[in-house]
Amino acid sequence: MIYHRPQSIDEALALKSSLGQRARFIAGGTDLVVGIRKGRTTVDSFVDLSRVPGLAGLTRAGDTLRIGAACTHAQLEREGITALAQACETVGGPQIRNMGTLGGQVGTASPAGDVSVALIALDAVVELASVRGTRSMPLADFFVGPGRTSLEPDEMVLSVTVPTNRKSVFYKIGKRDAVAISVVVAAASVSPSGDVAVGLGCVAPVPFRPRKSEQMLRGHPLTSERIDAAAAMAASEVSPISDHRGGATYRRAMVETLTRRLLRTLADTPYEGLLSVAMSHS
Amino acid sequence: MSESNALHPERVAMTLVLNGHSVSVEVDPRETLFDTLRERLRATGTKGACLGGECGSCTILLDGEPVTACLVMALQADGRAVDTVEGLAEGEQLSALQAAFVQAGAVQCGYCTPGLLVAATALLRKNPKPTEQDVRRGLAGNLCRCTGYGKIIEAVLNASQQGDAQGTQKSALRGKR
Amino acid sequence: MSNIGRSVQREDVEGKVTGETRYGGDLRGPETLTAAVIRAAHPHAKILAIDLAPARAIEGVVAVLGREDIGGTNRHGLIKRDHPVFCDERVRYLGDALGMVIAETPEAAKRGVEAVRVQYEVLPVVATMRDAIAPDAPALHDFGNVLATQLIRKGDAAKSLAESDVVLTHTFAMQGVDHAFLDLEAGYAEMVEDVVTIHASGQWVHEERRLIALALGLALERVRIVQPATGGAFGGREDLSIQIYLGLAALTLGRPVRMQYTREESMIARHKRHPMEIEYTLGAKKDGTFTAAKVIIRSDEGAYASTGPAVLRKAVSHCTGPYRVPNVEADGVALFTNNCPTGAMRGFGACQLAIAYEGMVLAMARALGMDVVALKRKNLLRDGECLTTGQVVPVASAIDCLDAALARFGWADRAREAPSPTVRRGYGVSTFCFGVGYGDGYPDASRARVRFADDNVLEVYSGGVEVGQGLHSLLAQIAGEEFGIESSAVRVIASDTARTPESGSSSATRQTVFSGNAVKLAAGELHRQVMDAAAVMLGLHWEDLVIKGDRVVGVHHESVAAPLAWVLASARERGFLLDATAVYKPRTVAPVDDSGQSPRAFLTYMFGAHIAEVWVDIETGEARVKRIVAAHDVGKAINPREVAGQIEGGVAQGLGMALMEEVVTRNGRILNASFTDYIIPTILDVPTIDAVIVERVDLEGPYGARGVGEPPLIGAVPAVLAAISDAIGRPVHQTPATAERVWTIMQSPEPTLVTTWSLS
Repeated sequence: MIYHRPQSIDEALALKSSLGQRARFIAGGTDLVVGIRKGRTTVDSFVDLSRVPGLAGLTRAGDTLRIGAACTHAQLEREGITALAQACETVGGPQIRNMGTLGGQVGTASPAGDVSVALIALDAVVELASVRGTRSMPLADFFVGPGRTSLEPDEMVLSVTVPTNRKSVFYKIGKRDAVAISVVVAAASVSPSGDVAVGLGCVAPVPFRPRKSEQMLRGHPLTSERIDAAAAMAASEVSPISDHRGGATYRRAMVETLTRRLLRTLADTPYEGLLSVAMSHS
Repeated sequence: MSESNALHPERVAMTLVLNGHSVSVEVDPRETLFDTLRERLRATGTKGACLGGECGSCTILLDGEPVTACLVMALQADGRAVDTVEGLAEGEQLSALQAAFVQAGAVQCGYCTPGLLVAATALLRKNPKPTEQDVRRGLAGNLCRCTGYGKIIEAVLNASQQGDAQGTQKSALRGKR
Repeated sequence: MSNIGRSVQREDVEGKVTGETRYGGDLRGPETLTAAVIRAAHPHAKILAIDLAPARAIEGVVAVLGREDIGGTNRHGLIKRDHPVFCDERVRYLGDALGMVIAETPEAAKRGVEAVRVQYEVLPVVATMRDAIAPDAPALHDFGNVLATQLIRKGDAAKSLAESDVVLTHTFAMQGVDHAFLDLEAGYAEMVEDVVTIHASGQWVHEERRLIALALGLALERVRIVQPATGGAFGGREDLSIQIYLGLAALTLGRPVRMQYTREESMIARHKRHPMEIEYTLGAKKDGTFTAAKVIIRSDEGAYASTGPAVLRKAVSHCTGPYRVPNVEADGVALFTNNCPTGAMRGFGACQLAIAYEGMVLAMARALGMDVVALKRKNLLRDGECLTTGQVVPVASAIDCLDAALARFGWADRAREAPSPTVRRGYGVSTFCFGVGYGDGYPDASRARVRFADDNVLEVYSGGVEVGQGLHSLLAQIAGEEFGIESSAVRVIASDTARTPESGSSSATRQTVFSGNAVKLAAGELHRQVMDAAAVMLGLHWEDLVIKGDRVVGVHHESVAAPLAWVLASARERGFLLDATAVYKPRTVAPVDDSGQSPRAFLTYMFGAHIAEVWVDIETGEARVKRIVAAHDVGKAINPREVAGQIEGGVAQGLGMALMEEVVTRNGRILNASFTDYIIPTILDVPTIDAVIVERVDLEGPYGARGVGEPPLIGAVPAVLAAISDAIGRPVHQTPATAERVWTIMQSPEPTLVTTWSLS
């Protein structure tokens, strides 16, 4: 076991490149440390990113926000992007949100990752880096299976970029009101030109975008009938499983319900100030 | 790359500022801050009920921010300020929050109490006049199985109303045993 | 000023807010070893061979102990001694222990456990109660899979049901629940001379000592249990757990040993609340008068008996709750499975039955088109009436609690409009009762010793354990009361088998009445010793003297006075020991015949009423509890703030049971053995809980007190379920009422509320 504390991104990437698969980046540690304790994860060496300068930056440029991989959930609660803020607020308790980072959230590739669902619904783009250089891809394409991503063994998540000019909303069904893994989670956004993106969690092997449903909405106003049809389509696109957190039938039904609810909210709410659409009594 | 920054087992020296006092300790690079505090420094006021970040019993302040010590690797805290329940009272003087917990009956079994006190301390530092909902949101990461939370909320709100008022003296009870 | 009825500060609270208090996991000795238990790999299997050698070869492992290292019966259990310390032939659930590893470090102990090789012959798993009664079911114990049966017969239920105007039958199902106390099983043991001294948290130190001595083959005086501070129990520490492993390790190695379960291990090994299936038939006249009940209870006992037979008896004897039902036929059966054993948890069988009878009362109100509160009023027992067991209850205060709760809630003015187009508001009312103490003639007593120590401090010695409920400060209040001394000036020495008397368990909502009375009796005798000495010293009749602060003074002549210290010195010179021990041992009786009837099944009964307001999202099924008013007749609240604390905490646990908590078991395996997936309420889930204290003096309890521990949980579950049911217009007869379950109920066809409708 070796514990490395690189002082720059380049140094971190060089370490990862030379140490290979079982060297693990650690920042927030909220997933990794649990994995080690439960014997799910074996680690030969840590590359500690918590003090690498430049990884936790938030950069606004035009209509985008670039979020450094080491930004915490607590930071993102305050950035005014509704779905992202709402998703971050539902992650763990304040302690976890102070620790857990964006890089960890997307790198974990949990199909139940609330923030990942919000991010794909915002059409986010992820930036990956290695000693070989950097590359970018839509975040939705980055997830390839439960816990699996397109990340190469020598790569790290460098940042995620989201648009700041989309209206967005988020809704989570969990088993309690805090520190809960989602049973079903959904987010949606609409661009100034009217393009709709939907993100769904816990209903597919990865955080999922119902492309056919989105296609049905393209170029059309969000009428009640069209929303209902798109919601039904979304329910037909997902592939939920039954496990101890929820049944497939319920999950599929909730995809329809939540998609409809979120799209209606997007349609009904003025462009500005969509900060709270969670259950009115929550 | 600089191997000079690599730390090898089995023991690595590190320093933390624990409750305002600089402390040097040798740790295993594989251990968490939770174990360092409890096993090496014998600061057992910090409790652990799940060791998975789910219960908040091990809440401490790392550079002033509440985190769960069970998910922090010891070496991540090297050179940083760590505050635990043991640092809340000023000598024999309970903090306003501790005193409010005593007075409101917010303590039953007491196992969640250290983590709650630390989380609530951070909450009041950021937001000295919280609403009930602020308190609920601020303490949402701390489980309590005994109280139903009502008296905890009452205690935090009472403490906030006292502002910086001092807590009460620890009673003479302690000398008696 | 009286100590009684005052919210005094608890004696343990300052250490708890400063972090100084030591719980089991905080204790260490010099060069302390760490122990870990080897657990079964299958829920049901024959053990063919156990190879401990690979574990012994692990660096840092000091010893590996197995069945052959145990000198005694190798069995424990509170009712039947059927739970092996280390399994010899067969494993019956995943928490079964095969041996233990003791090592220099926790890591080495863990590696040692992983290195043990066990050969099994895997046997078919008895996963459900249905499996347990299948004709080809493997017998899990010598006598088969039926642990116990219980019944009540009163009047002629069959005849009465046939003659009733309305007869309804519904089935109910309740889940397994975990106690989820935060302070994991943890402790420390060492040899003090030849006494194995175990510092670990249970609920009954003297019983733990008995069980350990028996299982390990030791004389009783070679085992000492000392209870450290304890982070919650709720029934979950009644069965023996870590204590016996700690004792065995320290005894065998002669070195200090500590150990602690992980949350996962705690959830897999520790007993749970009984999952039950209940078939309930209730008959009534057209005017709503209940005529008869027929109740069938099936209880999943898991692998070992634990307190199962007693839980089943409590379930059966509480089958009609606080209602007047003249004809009752109730049958209960507890069945062994390969699931985690089930045993004591706050509510103890009465909790599951309250869900069933309150569900039936609601269904009956709907069937009759009657207001449920009016239906309750018509059928709730009044003072001096008989319970289903035949026992007369002098104070049947469910009605008083109901009135108090309705008033506090503002029932008449409750809002009815829907909060939003997709959210509906519902209200639920529950009324319930609970028998205090072990009951049914089971030996039940508490002893206490009260004395003036050499430093003239009033001391209370009690075996009763403090698990968070505030017992020790309550005992200080009572002892102090007898002498006019503030409770904070009383010293409590407790829960140490070497120093304190046998006071019974902290369970069954019994300690306020039992140890409260024992302390009161002992303090009374000590008071007589002091006053006799004072009378001689001051030349007045003892009844004309009173203790005021640190002086004894004349009631009518304040000028006649002596410092208490002088009186105590004089008493000692006269040969008084200033030391008194008393026992409180009231009578209860076992069922008198094969009808299950008992004129005094329980010492006394507590009654209560809850009202819940719940908002339900009718599209998702999510239910949020907005408010709960919980009224309990506690007889006399000795410490009102702590009584309210018990009520609020119990209600929160009930809310968890009603909405979210569930031990999910498939084929003998718990799928959610962690705090990630076993979900208990957070501060965002629990609304304001309004605790209403009703005080109708109890004839048995100290100062009229009756206790409070368990009932708050019992009332909360049916109140929340009834509120959900009100919101969605459908019965909710299965717990927990998760969003998915509520949604599923809403999708299903309109249920038949009335299965038999014979209005003539």
